[in-house]
Amino acid sequence: MMMYPLNSPDQGIVQTVRSMLQELLGKKLADAVLVLASNPWSDVPMPTLFTDPDRMEGVDPLAPVAPVSSARQASALTRSPSGKTVVLVLRPCEIRALIELVKLNQCSLENAIIISMDCLGRMENKIFSDEAKTGPGITERFLSSPELQGKITTTCSTCNDFLPENADITLCTLGAEPGHMGFEALTDKGKALLESLGFKKGDDLPKRKQDIAALADKRSLSKKELFDATALQMSTIDGFQTFIGRCLNCYNCRTACPVCYCKECVFLTDVFAHPPELLLERATRRGAVKMPTDTSMFHLTRLSHIGHACVGCGQCSSVCPSDIQVADMFRTVSEKTQAFFNYTPGRDVTEPIPQLVVRNGKRGD
Amino acid sequence: MSDQTKPRIGVYVCHCGMNIAPKVNVEDVAAHAGTLAHVVVARDYKFMCSNPGQDMIINDIKSLGLNRVVVASCSPRMHEKTFRNAVKSAGLNPYYFQMANVREQVSWVTHDSMDATEKAKALTAAAVSRVFFHQPLSTREVPVIKSMLVVGGGIAGMQSALTCANAGYQVYLVEREPSIGGHMAKFDKTFPTLDCAACIMTPKMVDVLQHPNITLHTYSEVEKVEGFIGNFQVTVKKKPRYVDMEKCTGCGTCMEKCPSKKISSEFNEGLSFRTAIFTPFPQAVPNVPVIDAVNCIVLGKNKKCGACAKFCETKAIDFEQKPEFLTLDVGAIIAATGFQAVNPTHLEPYGYGRFPEVYTSLEFERLNNATGPTSGKMVMKNGQIPERVAIVHCVGSRDVRHKKYCSRVCCMYSMKFAHLLREKTGAEVWEFYIDVRSPGKLYEEFYNRVQEEGVRFVRGRVAEITDMTDDPNDKGRLTVVAESTLTRRTVRLPVDMVILSVGLEPAPGAEDLGRLLGVSRDGDGWFTELHAKLAPVSTPMNGIFLAGCCQGPKDIPDTVAQAMGAAGEAIALLSRGMVTTQAEISHIDPDLCIGCKSCIGACAYSAIGFDEARRVAVVNEALCKGCGSCAATCPSSSASVDHFTDRQIMGELERLV
Amino acid sequence: MSEYKPKIVALVCNWCTYTAADLAGTSRLSYPAEIRMIRLMCTGMIDQKYILKAFLDGADGVFIGGCHPGDCHYIDGNIKAEKRIGGTRNLLSQFGFEPDRLALQWIGASEGPEFQHNMTAFVERITALGPSQVADRMIL
Repeated sequence: MMMYPLNSPDQGIVQTVRSMLQELLGKKLADAVLVLASNPWSDVPMPTLFTDPDRMEGVDPLAPVAPVSSARQASALTRSPSGKTVVLVLRPCEIRALIELVKLNQCSLENAIIISMDCLGRMENKIFSDEAKTGPGITERFLSSPELQGKITTTCSTCNDFLPENADITLCTLGAEPGHMGFEALTDKGKALLESLGFKKGDDLPKRKQDIAALADKRSLSKKELFDATALQMSTIDGFQTFIGRCLNCYNCRTACPVCYCKECVFLTDVFAHPPELLLERATRRGAVKMPTDTSMFHLTRLSHIGHACVGCGQCSSVCPSDIQVADMFRTVSEKTQAFFNYTPGRDVTEPIPQLVVRNGKRGD
Repeated sequence: MSDQTKPRIGVYVCHCGMNIAPKVNVEDVAAHAGTLAHVVVARDYKFMCSNPGQDMIINDIKSLGLNRVVVASCSPRMHEKTFRNAVKSAGLNPYYFQMANVREQVSWVTHDSMDATEKAKALTAAAVSRVFFHQPLSTREVPVIKSMLVVGGGIAGMQSALTCANAGYQVYLVEREPSIGGHMAKFDKTFPTLDCAACIMTPKMVDVLQHPNITLHTYSEVEKVEGFIGNFQVTVKKKPRYVDMEKCTGCGTCMEKCPSKKISSEFNEGLSFRTAIFTPFPQAVPNVPVIDAVNCIVLGKNKKCGACAKFCETKAIDFEQKPEFLTLDVGAIIAATGFQAVNPTHLEPYGYGRFPEVYTSLEFERLNNATGPTSGKMVMKNGQIPERVAIVHCVGSRDVRHKKYCSRVCCMYSMKFAHLLREKTGAEVWEFYIDVRSPGKLYEEFYNRVQEEGVRFVRGRVAEITDMTDDPNDKGRLTVVAESTLTRRTVRLPVDMVILSVGLEPAPGAEDLGRLLGVSRDGDGWFTELHAKLAPVSTPMNGIFLAGCCQGPKDIPDTVAQAMGAAGEAIALLSRGMVTTQAEISHIDPDLCIGCKSCIGACAYSAIGFDEARRVAVVNEALCKGCGSCAATCPSSSASVDHFTDRQIMGELERLV
Repeated sequence: MSEYKPKIVALVCNWCTYTAADLAGTSRLSYPAEIRMIRLMCTGMIDQKYILKAFLDGADGVFIGGCHPGDCHYIDGNIKAEKRIGGTRNLLSQFGFEPDRLALQWIGASEGPEFQHNMTAFVERITALGPSQVADRMIL
C-alpha cells in the first residue's frame, strides 16, 4: 500500500482526478475509461465510456450520486475479451458487485484497471439534482461539507464498507487537508500506473487513520440500529407484509440490482402467469387474496436467490416507486445469510458461491 | 395435438377392487374432480388397469376430445407405463397423462375413511392441476452397441458371459483376481447332490477361456463407466502381472524357483503358503502366474533376485510391466461381483483367531478339498482326526448386532459338512442351529438324510466356545456352550473342532463399483434390483443388470439361474438393437442462459457442454439422466427438466395445501 | 387443538423415499393423512421456490425425503439438495418460520417402517408447533 499525496488547491480535487484520467488515455496507458460524468442532457452524471481525453470535461467520479450501478456497465464492457485495456472507475460496492459477476462468468477483470475511492456515499438523484442547482461545484462542496454529507441515502449512511477492496488505485480524500487528496496504489499494477504518470510516493495523509476509524464507528453504529429494527420487523410475516405491502410487482428493484444476473426474471415468465381460474381458486381457498399476487414470493425468492451476493448498494430502494426500503430488508436478511454460509460477497473472485454446489470443487471450465 | 388447444381433462378414479374403495369414497373423489376447471369427464371404475378400464379412457379421448388424462389409482411405479400406453394408443402424446397415487399413499395407509377421501381428493386435484401444464414429449431411437461387459468372474459372471457369448454377442469378462472361478472354485462338493464342484467348474472355466466371443481380462478392474444404456464406454485397468501372457506356457518352474515361499495363501484361506510368483490354484484360468509385488524380492524389497526370470525358458517375466488402460464400448453391463464371507474375528465369544481348532466354513471347505492344504484330509492342526465336531449356524447372520438377514446358504452347507465329516472321519457331528432352512429342490430330503446319518441337531444359539473344561479328561479340547431351546437345558459339549457357518456380505469394492455404475445398494450393501419380484435382475440404471450374490445371498443353483436371467435381459437389449432415449431430460433455454457454467459444475454425468460462440450451456441429450441438479443449480432458471418443470411442480403444489 | 390438522407437503425423490412410501403402502403401515406427497426424480432438483411457495401457500410444514448419502440414484443430488435446503431454512427462520417446519430426511427405498415413523413424527412435530403464521393470511 503506497500513498501518492497531492496538493491541488488551485485546480481542485475534481480537476485533479479528471486530469489524471485524461492523462491515462493521453499517454495510451489505457484504451478507454468508464467513469461517472455529467452531460448537458441529464441533471445527474451518468456512467460514460471515454476513449478521447479531449471529451472528458464532464468527468466527475466523486460526485455523490449513482443513478445506476456502474457494475452492470463494467460487466457489459468486459463480458468477453476485447483485447483493450479499460479503466473502470467504480464505487466500492460496485466493485463488490463486479466480483460477484466475475464468479458467474459474466465478466472478466483480466484487462481492467480498477480505480475506486473513499466512498462518502451517494444522494438520491432528486436530492443531488436540487443541491447541484444551488451553486457550482457540487462535488467539491460535498467533500468539504458535513451538512451535505448528511444528505446521503440511508443505505450509504449505514454502510461501513466504504473503503474499496480489489481496486488498483484508491482516490483518497479521508484524512486529507482541505483541497488535498492522495492516490493510493493497492496493487503493483496501480503503483506502476501512478509512477508512469509521474506521481511521487510520499507519506500517508495526516489524519487518514483517525478519519477512517471515526467514519467506520459512526456508520457501524447507525447500521446496527437500522439492522436491528429491520430484523425485528421481518421476524413475523405480518411485519414483512407491512414492509412490502405496497409492492406493485414492477420489478424495478431487480432491474436496478447489479447482482440480479438473470436475462429474464422467472417472475416474468409463464411460471407466474396464472390463468384466471387459478387466481379465483386461490381467492376461494382463503376467502380473499391480495392483488397483485406473488409479491411475497417474489421478494423471498429473490432473497433466496441472491441474498448471499447482496453488496449493499441500495439501488433497489432508490428505484422503488412505492418507496419500499427494499435495501434495508435485503441488507439485513442477507447479512445473516452470508454469515450462515460464511461468505463475503465481493471479497475474492476465487471464493465459491455457496448455493452453487459444485462437484469436485470446480466449475465447468 | 397442438399445444394451443384448450385443455380438456378426463379423470378416472380406480376402485382397485376392494383396495381403494371402500376406504376411499371413490364416487365422491370423482364428483369432486368433476367440479375442477377444465375437467370434462370424471368417472370411477372397478379396475382402471384392466382392458375395459383402459378402453374407457381410450373411448373418452376419442368421443369427448380429451387431451389430458388423470388416473387416480396405484403408484405410478406400478402402472404409469400401462396408462401412458393406453393414452398413446388413442392418439394422444403419452406425456399428457398424470397419476394420483391413492392406493399406496391413501387407502392402504390411512385409518379414517373421511381423511382418506379428503386426501384422495387433494391428490387427484393436484394431478389435474399438474396435467394442465404437461407438454408433449418425444423420445429418440439410438442404436445399441452389440457387446457387453460382465464384471466378476465367479460362477455368476462366467455363466452370464457364456450365455451371452453363445447368443453370438461379444463379451468382455473382467475379473480382479489373477484367475476366474470365484468362490465356487474353492469348494469340493456342492449340496444337496454332492457332485464334485471342480468337475462342473473346471470345464466351464475352460469354456470361458476358449470361447471365441469372450475376451477375458483377469487381474483387471473397472475404473470408469460413462455413457448410457446401449452405449457405455468402460475404462478397465489391467494391473501389471509382471508376466507376459503371450509368452508364458504355464509350466510352473518360476513358482518352484521363487525363494519367497512363506506367503499366506489367499485361496487356501491362510491354511497353506504360496510363493511370491503364483497362480492361486492349480486349475487357474488363465494358467499364467502373477507376481505379488509386495512380497517379491525384486519388486517389493528392491533387492536382487530374479530367480523366476532366470529359469523362465520363454523369458516371460517382465518386471517393467505397467498398468494398462483399455476402453471398452459395450451396450450392456452385468455386475456379478459376488460376496465375501463374514470374518468372525469380532464375534469374540466364538473364539475364532484365539483357538486353532475353530474354523470358518471357507477354511473347512479347503480342508475338505483334494487340492487343499491337507489334500482333502479332515484333520486337526496336530494331524489327528477329530472325534467330535460342532458346527455353529448363523454366525454373523440373523443377528441384529451383525447382519440381520439370513445368508441362505449356511444351513445347507453346514449339513453338507456334517455328511462329509460322517462319511470321511466317522466323527460325531453336532449342529447348533436357530432354525434349519432347507427350502429348495431336494434340500429337505438332504436334511432328513443327514439326520438319519446320525448328525445331532441342537436348537439354540451358541453362547460361547471356551477352552475351560469341566472334566480333566477333556483338557485340550474346546467346549461349546449353548442353551438347547427344546430341552431348556444348558448344553456344555466338549469337541475337537468347531466350524463357524459364517454368513455372506457384499464383496469388498461393491460400494465403489456401485458408484461407478450408478447402481444403488440397500442397507446391507447388496445392489438394489429394479423390482423385487418383477425385475429382479434389472437395476434402476437402464442397461445394467445383476447376477449372483452381489444382489443378495443365494446358492449356486439360484446364482446360475439369475446369471442366465441377467444374460437374457442383456441379450434382449442387444438383439432389440435400438434403445429409446428418456424423454424426461434437462433442457437449457439459450435465451435465458447467462453462460455462468454453474450447471456444468453441478452435472454428475458431464452431460452439459458450453457453446462458446453463443456463450450458453448446452445439454447432451444422450448423456442426460434427468436428475435436475442443473435445474436447481441454474441461477437464472434457464435449465429445467422436461416433465418436471417449475410450472408443473408448482401447479401440483398449489392444490395440495 | 385436537381439531387442528396441519397441512404438510412432502417433496420426495422417486428412487428412495417415494419407493419407501410405496413399500409402507404395500406393508399397510399407516401414517397421518395430512402428508401430501409430490414425486420428483431427485431431491437435487428441488428449487428453493418450491419450498417458499409451499409455505406461502399455507403449508404448515414441508418434508423433504431423499436417498441416504452415497445412495443417490444420481450420485450426489441429495448432497447438493442438503446444502441448498440449509440456506432456505436459514432464510425462512429470519421471517419467523420455525426452522423445524422444514425437514430433510434420508429414507432409503427399503425403509417402509422408517418412512412411516418419519411421517408420524413430522406430523406430531408440526401439530405441536401449531398453524403457520401464513395459514389464514390473504397473501401469497
